[in-house]
Amino acid sequence: MPKVQIKHLTKIFGKRQKAALKMVKENKSKNEIFEKTGSTVGVYDINLEVNEGEIFVIMGLSGSGKSTLIRLLNRLIEPTSGEIILDGKNITHYNKKEMLDIRRQKMSMVFQNFALFPHRTILENTEFGLEIQGVPAAERRQRAEKALENSQLLSFKDQYPSQLSGGMQQRVGLSRALTNDPDILLMDEAFSALDPLVRHEMQDELLDLQANVKKTIIFITHDLNEALRLGDRIAIMKDGQLQQIGTGEEILTNPANGYVENFVEDVDRSKVLNAETIMIPGFTINADTDGPNVALHRMSEEEVSGLVAVDANRKFAGYITSDAAVAARREKKNLRDVLTEMPTVTPDTLVADIMPIIYDAHTPVAVVDENQKLHGIIIRGAVIEALAQTEGDNND
Amino acid sequence: MINLLSIAKLPLDSWVTDGVNWLTKNLSGLFNAIQTGGSNTMDAVTNFLTAIPMPIFIITLALISWLLTPKKYGQPIFILLGLALIANQGLWSDLMQTLTLVLVASVISLVIGIPLGIWSSKSPKAYAVIKPILDFMQTMPAFVYLIPAVAFFGIGVVPGAFASIIFALPPVVNFTYLGLQQVPTSLVEAADSFGATTWQKLFKLELPNAKNTIIAGSKQTIMLALSMVVTASMIGAPGLGRGVLSAVQHADVGAGFVSGIALVILAIIVDRFVQRLNTEPVSAPKLPKWRKLTTWAMLAILLISGVVGSITATQSSGKKVTLGYVEWDSEVASTNVLAEAMRQHGYNVTITPLDNAVNWQSVANKQVDGTVSAWLPNTHKDLYAKYKNDVDLLGPNLKGVKLGFVVPDYMDVNSIADLTNQANKTITGIEPGAGEMKLAANTLKAYPNLSGWNLQESSSGAMTTALDKAYKAKQPIIVTGWSPHWMFNKYKLKYLADPKGTMGGQESINTVVRKNLKQTSPDVYKVMKKFHWTQSDMQTVMLDIQNGKTPTKAADDWISSHKSQVNAWFK
Repeated sequence: MPKVQIKHLTKIFGKRQKAALKMVKENKSKNEIFEKTGSTVGVYDINLEVNEGEIFVIMGLSGSGKSTLIRLLNRLIEPTSGEIILDGKNITHYNKKEMLDIRRQKMSMVFQNFALFPHRTILENTEFGLEIQGVPAAERRQRAEKALENSQLLSFKDQYPSQLSGGMQQRVGLSRALTNDPDILLMDEAFSALDPLVRHEMQDELLDLQANVKKTIIFITHDLNEALRLGDRIAIMKDGQLQQIGTGEEILTNPANGYVENFVEDVDRSKVLNAETIMIPGFTINADTDGPNVALHRMSEEEVSGLVAVDANRKFAGYITSDAAVAARREKKNLRDVLTEMPTVTPDTLVADIMPIIYDAHTPVAVVDENQKLHGIIIRGAVIEALAQTEGDNND
Repeated sequence: MINLLSIAKLPLDSWVTDGVNWLTKNLSGLFNAIQTGGSNTMDAVTNFLTAIPMPIFIITLALISWLLTPKKYGQPIFILLGLALIANQGLWSDLMQTLTLVLVASVISLVIGIPLGIWSSKSPKAYAVIKPILDFMQTMPAFVYLIPAVAFFGIGVVPGAFASIIFALPPVVNFTYLGLQQVPTSLVEAADSFGATTWQKLFKLELPNAKNTIIAGSKQTIMLALSMVVTASMIGAPGLGRGVLSAVQHADVGAGFVSGIALVILAIIVDRFVQRLNTEPVSAPKLPKWRKLTTWAMLAILLISGVVGSITATQSSGKKVTLGYVEWDSEVASTNVLAEAMRQHGYNVTITPLDNAVNWQSVANKQVDGTVSAWLPNTHKDLYAKYKNDVDLLGPNLKGVKLGFVVPDYMDVNSIADLTNQANKTITGIEPGAGEMKLAANTLKAYPNLSGWNLQESSSGAMTTALDKAYKAKQPIIVTGWSPHWMFNKYKLKYLADPKGTMGGQESINTVVRKNLKQTSPDVYKVMKKFHWTQSDMQTVMLDIQNGKTPTKAADDWISSHKSQVNAWFK
């Protein structure tokens, strides 16, 4: 039996719901419905099942109804129609008291902007869920401290949220949700407000955690990479309606419709692939002002083994490898003296033409324009993936 | 097109009057209970505060302030010096009475206001009803609240508190509403998602988050209650406000400034203490334990000394008498003389300055025992006509009173009928409620040469100031004057002849007491009936006061030199 089942779940915001429903059935767009009726379609006719212990990711652009959907699950938003079935029990018509118990025992939520209570310390925030259940102070303190210890935050327990970094705050949010020991974790764009590095770290932590605690996690994101990293299964939404549910692999290989297809690819195939579409921003270093020590520091910081060298006017100068930088440090040389050659292409060079260049090069390829200004770099994997996709097209 | 002007004037004023009368009649039991309970409570608070020995009060308060704000010496020193100054000016008991009024009005406003604010924020329907009422309360001039307050609760500290509460309530409601509205939705969602009940959400999230906004509103409420102190003194609320009001009516800059500065000092101290509650959790300095303990100890000292003081205070014995009077120089003289004489004969006398109309009303409602300030038959004709069935007129206490238009003798006009366009066609008058102003208004109507003249309302003090200014500059001025008055001793003035007699002929000042005084306090009744003196007596006392003696001192001096005359009143 699935942990959570959703049947024909619909939420319309506003007054003229009947008219809006009628227009949804006629496949009218969200904007059109709003203009005609003044009602907004939050979600429409959602059917899905979430199994015990899986990370189920719901993704979509903003306004696709994914945040509404997650709030329908614990009924922070009341559904217009449809059923929510938890552990085989339909909770759609539970009264207030029963719903409180569900929220206290079975579901906990983590929010995009952390939603920590600014007037409470970290510890008081973490024990909030237990506090409102009337758990004795000593016990709830002990459980909250354990949760904080698991996320290495115990030493901050008497500080206030505003004194912590975003990543730490979100760990507190997660600890607060886990202290209740719920069956289901609802995570509403939990990592979207963090910077990419911390975000990556948090994703790893969540996967580690899931390996230990085996919760059912319903995770919402608008970031495909995050969905592919975390999701056992992924649901894609558009304008309040489900487009496709499947594993990451299924969604990438067999997109259900054009929307999903466009959604899951970074490359628009209607255009001819060229250097500009597959390049990534390169890590650069100023060869005129920075020395070998700075170069080595940046390499270890960015976790790469080479940097693109530019001059003070951001003009392309060459490539500096880690070996060259070490040699320069030993021999007290400038970076200028130890640069290696780096193949260059212009932004409009076609992928097919880059292939032979990259095959021979020991470095990435630099994309520079006619003024020698650096636009980005191209790495091997990007070219191979791009070519593989175009081949796939030929097979269709 | 409907011509709006063709609709007859709606009798809005009489509707309101009828409504208030209906309330007064039908809820008189409730109002009296509130009046009695309220007076007793507030008297108890005042007695308690006054019983704390003044030095202990000042020093502990300064110490508490220092304990709560380490490393800051400005505030404790300010408290020390400011309160010492107030005590030095002899305003300590006034300060305590004002503090009582502010405390009670603020506490009641907060107790009513914060729940109203919470209710508004939870229920849009309630807010839709409460909001316009609040706007109405906030913009209606505060003086208007005094009128029903007197009708409901008579005079004294309770109507003052009532008016203060109505006036001071809106900010705390508005700010509470605002503070609760501004709690971020995501936090409310978070609390909901953990299964918090409405009450848990309110006490664990919303109120703590809105705390600082609510405190800001409370501060405004307290300040408004404080600002109402002066206004409320017009209907007998005791305290510093009385000093300000009397200074305004006597145009006494110095005394007004002193009472005003005392109010400022009180306001600043209250403001700083309330501000102290307004903290951010992160930056809140953690007070060391000994400071907290000492603070509690200091509060305990205050409480204990207040309780001990209240118990050991010599209960003022003797029969209680309350006299109402109006802040005219003549009445200040006569009321103080009578009050001092009665005190020397063992009565416990309270005198309450009131507006003239309120004074009559208070005698009629048995709020005060009597007054010796009734100018009859002309000046207070309307008021006497209104209340004559509810009061007991004991006859004149001073004969040979005259009212009229008064001019400096350097002006060459001698009769009201000869006025043309002197003094910008203006008669400088006194308080709008005074009987003489009614006569003056009738006079302007009765003399055809006065059409287009206007009657300037002010206060008796402002009138004498204006006269003084014009006299020194030898400019023309016409004032509504009366004798006995010290201004005739100070300047060369003359009455204008009044051929039509509209300013009244010979008048007398009479004693009026409440209807049942004879039955309940026959001895007080007897004294009031016998009290009488002469114009020259009164003028002596008035001049003394005018030359800087306090009213009680001037009264005592006069009594000690007229012993046999005074003793005759008590035989």
